[in-house]
Amino acid sequence: MSQIEQELFQRLSDAVVDMDEDEAVAAANEVVERGIDAYRAIELGLSAGMERAGQLFDEEEYFIPELLMCSDAMYAGMDVLKPHLRSDGVSEKHKVVIGVVEGDTHDIGKNLVKIMLETSGFDVTDLGRDIPPARFVETAKEIGANIIALSTLMTTTMEGMGAVVRQLSEEGIRDRFKVIVGGGPISQGFADRIGADGYAVNAADAIRLARSLVAPAEAAA
Amino acid sequence: MRRDQMTPLERLAAYGAGAPIDRLPCVPIVGNTAARVIGVKVGDFRGNGALIAEAQVAAYRLFGYDIIRIFTDLYTHAEAMGAKVSYPEDETAFLAAPAIADLSQIDRLRPADPYRDGNLPQHLEAMRRAVDQVGDEVAVTGAVTCPFTNASFLVGADKLARLMMRSPETVHHLCEISLQTNIAYAGAIIDAGCTPSLTDAMSSMSVISPRQFREFSFPYLKRLIDYIHGRDRKVTLHICGKTSGIWDAMVEAGADCLSIDNDADLGEAREAVGDRVRLMGNVHPSEVMLQGTPETVRRATLACLAQAKDTPRGFIVASGCSLPTETPFANIHAMLDTVRDAGWPVRC
Ligand code: B12
Repeated sequence: MSQIEQELFQRLSDAVVDMDEDEAVAAANEVVERGIDAYRAIELGLSAGMERAGQLFDEEEYFIPELLMCSDAMYAGMDVLKPHLRSDGVSEKHKVVIGVVEGDTHDIGKNLVKIMLETSGFDVTDLGRDIPPARFVETAKEIGANIIALSTLMTTTMEGMGAVVRQLSEEGIRDRFKVIVGGGPISQGFADRIGADGYAVNAADAIRLARSLVAPAEAAA
Repeated sequence: MRRDQMTPLERLAAYGAGAPIDRLPCVPIVGNTAARVIGVKVGDFRGNGALIAEAQVAAYRLFGYDIIRIFTDLYTHAEAMGAKVSYPEDETAFLAAPAIADLSQIDRLRPADPYRDGNLPQHLEAMRRAVDQVGDEVAVTGAVTCPFTNASFLVGADKLARLMMRSPETVHHLCEISLQTNIAYAGAIIDAGCTPSLTDAMSSMSVISPRQFREFSFPYLKRLIDYIHGRDRKVTLHICGKTSGIWDAMVEAGADCLSIDNDADLGEAREAVGDRVRLMGNVHPSEVMLQGTPETVRRATLACLAQAKDTPRGFIVASGCSLPTETPFANIHAMLDTVRDAGWPVRC
């Protein structure tokens, strides 16, 4: 990596952590002017910044308002860089359907996971909150999703996650999708019990999980 | 099984005065579970104060806990200010759309009139009826959704969070009109012979920082509590989720009793603020009360007693938050029976 690249990636990353939209746009414009690879600028600059923001959240330095502002700076930089992504350099994006299960309207955590997935290069369809099982399945089929990501914060609505897995099995399409679950009352044990493919405790781990689940498919292709 | 010797009002008065009591006060926070007690659907509570009162009084009589709380969901104030609330047939209501879709409409927002707007009149009706029926033996409270949380229902939680950084004065404006609604409603609750019971989910450290709490939530909470104190009522304040970093501020705002969520540590709370406020908490509403057995409930209740029974300013055994609607009756009975068995002075 050249010195100038390194400096620009650092500026992008800092702009995200500092919640500075203008600086994110300025640094992204400079990336474009200098003909630096937009994909690497997103990955090593903006994404890296969002990951640092996530760590600050875990350390209780940042809270929800800060994270949302960081994500705004990240999207501002992305908007500049996106048109310059060289399509040949980037492999087909993996698709995720995400939503909060039926009966639950807590969506702050789901929104964070969605933001982090997008930063990490996933193509995310967000169904929103209070979503019946059938809609997850329909949408996943429709867009040819790789991953179905389910969120809930309430014990009373956890079973909706099991219902999604069951419906996939009943339709004989269980192996076409990876199902990942998360939210306050969810645990690895619960994920295993309903037959989900993975669980993550926070947004940063959710990204690692999603990446690892789509990685084998890539190796086989 | 030991039987109660005192009415809840006698017990709380004696406890407050340092006089002997038969057992510690105990409050499994029963909300829509009351519908199950009289066999109606949660959705039937909508706009029906008489039915809410009937259910809450029946639940109190069945379990014998120490405070009746008239509560169906968090959105009653926001609804009265224009938010859209969705009422499933047999589940707790939820926010379908905030009061305004766009900040350009902010001037439309007005404080609610508790005697006219939304379902507030019906909730007041429920309070009056409950007081009529059992007010001579048990305290009846009415739930108030505090300014910062209500503000999030006026514009949406994500939008409010961004405004905190981009336009603090807008957040203050939203909290101010929410406070006006709160004060009017709290006044009406007191006129109905009840006590306001404050709840503030979004002020949690699970969402905002202690510094942000100080800036955006504290000033309004303090003014609300000052008003209620001015009308000679004590104040219980519940904030969901993590709260250890704001206990001091909650005390400073004037709360007389902090209701501690299961995500916070009761023993730590006793150490930190137990010499200044009464505490209540914090049996896990879902993992223990909903999903556990009477034996799990007994153990969890004893654990709370061990942590906080000797809180200098007093302790009320309670659930960490409102109970889920389908909480088994046997578990609610188990919580009270454990407290009855522990007696006074508490043996555990
Ligand atoms: C803020 C809040 C609210 C806000 C929500 C605003 C919004 N738009 O989301 C409001 C005030 C509206 C609210 C309402 C209610 N709430 Co609430 N709320 C909370 C609170 C305090 C914080 C939640 C939060 O946003 N945390 C911050 C985010 C970032 O964390 P997170 O969601 O866990 O997400 C992270 C991880 O879990 C993970 N993750 C999340 N999703 C996914 C998905 C995947 C696939 C993966 C891999 C990972 C992952 O990554 C995220 C980022 O790191 C919690 C307390 C708590 N302990 O969590 C209660 C809590 C969740 N609420 C609760 C309840 C009961 C309610 C109400 C029913 C109250 C009522 N009686 O009316 C209503 C719900 C109505 C409904 N049907 O939906 C209970 C749930 C109890 C239970 N276990 O069943 C809690 C736990 C409080 C308690 N102790 O009882 N609430």
